[in-house]
Amino acid sequence: MVKTTSKDAQDLFRALRSAYAATPTNLKIIDLYIVFAIMTAVIQVVYVGIVGSFPFNSFLSGVLSCVGTAVLAVCLRIQVNKENKEFKDLPPERAFADFVLCNVVLHLVIMNFIG
Amino acid sequence: MAMKLSIFVALIALLLPLLSTAFSPETPTDRRILVLLDDQSIKSSHSIFFKSFQTRGYDLDFRLADDPKISLQRYGQYLYDGLILFSPQAKRFGGSLDLAGVLEFVDSGRDLVIAADGAASDLIRDISTECGVDFDVDSAAMVIDHTSYAVSKTDGDHTLIASDEFIQSDVILGSEKIEAPVIFKGIAHSLNPANSLVLKVLSASPSAYSANPEAELSSPPSMSGSSISLVSVVQARNNARILISGSLDLFSDRLFGSGVQKAGSETTFEKSGNEQFVTELSKWVFHERGHLKAVSIQHHKVGEVVEPAMYRIKDELEFSVEIYEWSGKSWQPYVSDDVQVQFYMMSPYVLKTLSTNQKGLYSTSFKVPDVYGVFQFKVEYHRLGYTGLSLSKQIPVRPFRHNEYERFITTAFPYYGGSVSMMAGFFVFTIVYLYNK
Repeated sequence: MVKTTSKDAQDLFRALRSAYAATPTNLKIIDLYIVFAIMTAVIQVVYVGIVGSFPFNSFLSGVLSCVGTAVLAVCLRIQVNKENKEFKDLPPERAFADFVLCNVVLHLVIMNFIG
Repeated sequence: MAMKLSIFVALIALLLPLLSTAFSPETPTDRRILVLLDDQSIKSSHSIFFKSFQTRGYDLDFRLADDPKISLQRYGQYLYDGLILFSPQAKRFGGSLDLAGVLEFVDSGRDLVIAADGAASDLIRDISTECGVDFDVDSAAMVIDHTSYAVSKTDGDHTLIASDEFIQSDVILGSEKIEAPVIFKGIAHSLNPANSLVLKVLSASPSAYSANPEAELSSPPSMSGSSISLVSVVQARNNARILISGSLDLFSDRLFGSGVQKAGSETTFEKSGNEQFVTELSKWVFHERGHLKAVSIQHHKVGEVVEPAMYRIKDELEFSVEIYEWSGKSWQPYVSDDVQVQFYMMSPYVLKTLSTNQKGLYSTSFKVPDVYGVFQFKVEYHRLGYTGLSLSKQIPVRPFRHNEYERFITTAFPYYGGSVSMMAGFFVFTIVYLYNK
């Protein structure tokens, strides 16, 4: 029974990996970027658990810059995905320009708030 | 011409007493005192008491209580700074003076001495009731004490009592200890429990009671034990002081000079404690002692001298106030170690005891709390026998300005690193994403 489960899980991962291998390269780059942002946020949350919440505004801006980056990247990924029919009229160049503009605004706010 | 001159002289004569009666906060001692008597013989039978006032520079104006010309004020100005009622039997005062007039006199911050006696009239009882003490309603009752009476050859009913149960206060009774007991022959009074301003200065012993010495005691006495007060004082909220005594004889030359031996005690004193007790008490009542004033409240940041219009949270500041006591002639530095200042907004955020330099200057320094709003420096000083001090000075406290916050905190470097790596990551991502074809 147990063996069957671990085998199923392995099968599942193998299926996922082979399916993911078919993903276009630009989406893979975005995924990597999202993972990087989330890892940075997790490191900071662990750090605040160790040293305490002072200075809280710096902590908030540090973590929110990671979260904001990840969210914007997810939005970009949705808009440039060819298989997503919802944004088929939106050119990927336009989506990327929106992404850049939002990032600039986000980081200006973060710089102001981080102290 | 002679007519004009005489009018001028009359005018000067009229104005001079008015000018000299000025009761000013600079010299708080009363100068002119009206004494109301039942009959002129009291003037001679109580001459030592009156003499002590005159040697201390007071101006006494003796009147019979039913003198039709009595008037406390003229053209809205009080003519006197103190009032001594040595007229226990007066049913009503002459002239325009009445119960309300006496109370208004006290309400204006002036001082009052009331002496009652066995035959105290309703008027005197009413004035005393308004001041917070109630005399025994039985007009024939006197204070009797069968254990601590004054030994005498003539007094067999033990109404002449010797008491040494004084209030423990150097400011009211002077720093010199009163060795001999005080002889008292008069009526009892009790303090109104609702009145927190009235104090027992001389109380009866636990074995005293108030009853008619002539009649047989058929029911328990209405007042007994230590609840009986013989002499009481009041310091009103406006610092007017009132002395209420159940005995007019207490102030008499006869009891001042008589020797005293307390029953059950071996020691005989040549002279009773009355003179010292009454003189010291009258000094207190007429503000020769225990009258405080506070001047020049100052505060500034540590290291500066100018008083700012506003403080910032967590500022270090210094606060100082000068307190003086009126000694009867001049303002002397007041020395105490229990003056406190509050930094107050709805409740005290800081409460600090001020340290004194022994010359009247009290100072301390403290840190403004981490709370902003409109604060007050408050000094609330209320001590037994002293006039109360209630000072407050308002001062706003502001938070940090935007550029006053601490920056580049070491603890925060991982967060700076996190956000910088996000910016760098965004830059790298942009290049990789655009050129990965």
